[in-house]
Amino acid sequence: MSDTERLAELRELFLGAPESAAARLLALVLSFSLVCIVMWLVRRRTLRAEYTPIWMGVAFGLFLVGLNLDVLRGIARIIGAWTISSTVFFLGEFFLLAICLNYAVRLSQAGTQIRRLAQDLALLRQRVEELSEAGRADAATQI
Amino acid sequence: MYLIIPALNEARSLPHVFEAIEDAELEAEIVVVDDGSTDDTARTAAALGARVIRHPFNMGYGAAIQTGYMYALEHGADLLVQMDADGQHDPSQIPAMVEPIRRGECDLVIASRFLEVTGYRMGWARTAGRKLFEVLGRLSGVNVTDPTSGFQAMNRATMELYVRDFFPHDYPDVDVLVMASRHGLRVRECVSVMRSGLRESQLHGGIRTFYYVYKMLVSMWAASSDGRRP
Repeated sequence: MSDTERLAELRELFLGAPESAAARLLALVLSFSLVCIVMWLVRRRTLRAEYTPIWMGVAFGLFLVGLNLDVLRGIARIIGAWTISSTVFFLGEFFLLAICLNYAVRLSQAGTQIRRLAQDLALLRQRVEELSEAGRADAATQI
Repeated sequence: MYLIIPALNEARSLPHVFEAIEDAELEAEIVVVDDGSTDDTARTAAALGARVIRHPFNMGYGAAIQTGYMYALEHGADLLVQMDADGQHDPSQIPAMVEPIRRGECDLVIASRFLEVTGYRMGWARTAGRKLFEVLGRLSGVNVTDPTSGFQAMNRATMELYVRDFFPHDYPDVDVLVMASRHGLRVRECVSVMRSGLRESQLHGGIRTFYYVYKMLVSMWAASSDGRRP
């Protein structure tokens, strides 16, 4: 048996390790807790409903994993990971990257909008000053 | 009375809307809220004699209509009617809509396309969605057949509730009605015959439909904890 074959066999041993009931339970508890926290924040009006889909998606993913760890095994085989735990870390990092990118886009949009608002405000202020000066000049002429 | 018309790229349909308003001989200040249009909406509305409020960028239908509520409140309005700029609402129905509010019988009147058979047709998906929210609305204490109607009349108390921060930016529909009901406002419907709009609605369609259903369910759940019903 070559080294490559032995490594592949070892990897299959890692991936085929029996499911841990604790890991399943943890995933289910985390998923349920996440849904509860998100709904609580929405109900308190701290989080707007339009920002919840991504978190509900994560909760749904955790729920799926909790129901069947084979989902994670499948992903591990596809991405070439050795263990389920490293797959979880990889997916977590990927999610964090995606959410950072999402917020970077939103921040860019918010920055542009704030600049636009400030410019509009400056122009309006200038217009108000112009009008009040014209008003004062009119009053002076009438006197 | 203030007539608020939120508009996004409606330069083509606004003349028809104003013609209908003129035919209805309403005594109202007409306010068009231009939600960041890229066409001549603002200029057209101003040329037609409306007061125009321009958003510096697009913020959504909810934000546009809320700007209208804020304007009306600032100017001491007691009565407000909102209608869409796509020409499907008939302004001649406005006197009948505002009458129950003037008599103090209710705070908010919704012009319903489905209170009676009026020949208005929707696709099966939208019909199913409307039925779902009609049932959920009833469970939350809101008895309306057309929670997505943008043709509404309201008094000052309703405007004061609707200018609060938690009013949605995008789709103020059944969730807002649940909120109004939970704050003790009296909601009523009247029959409305809608004309087909000059163009298709941009609000709900494609993937937005799924998002709309999800968002509405979450928002309704949040609104159901507001205030206390009388």
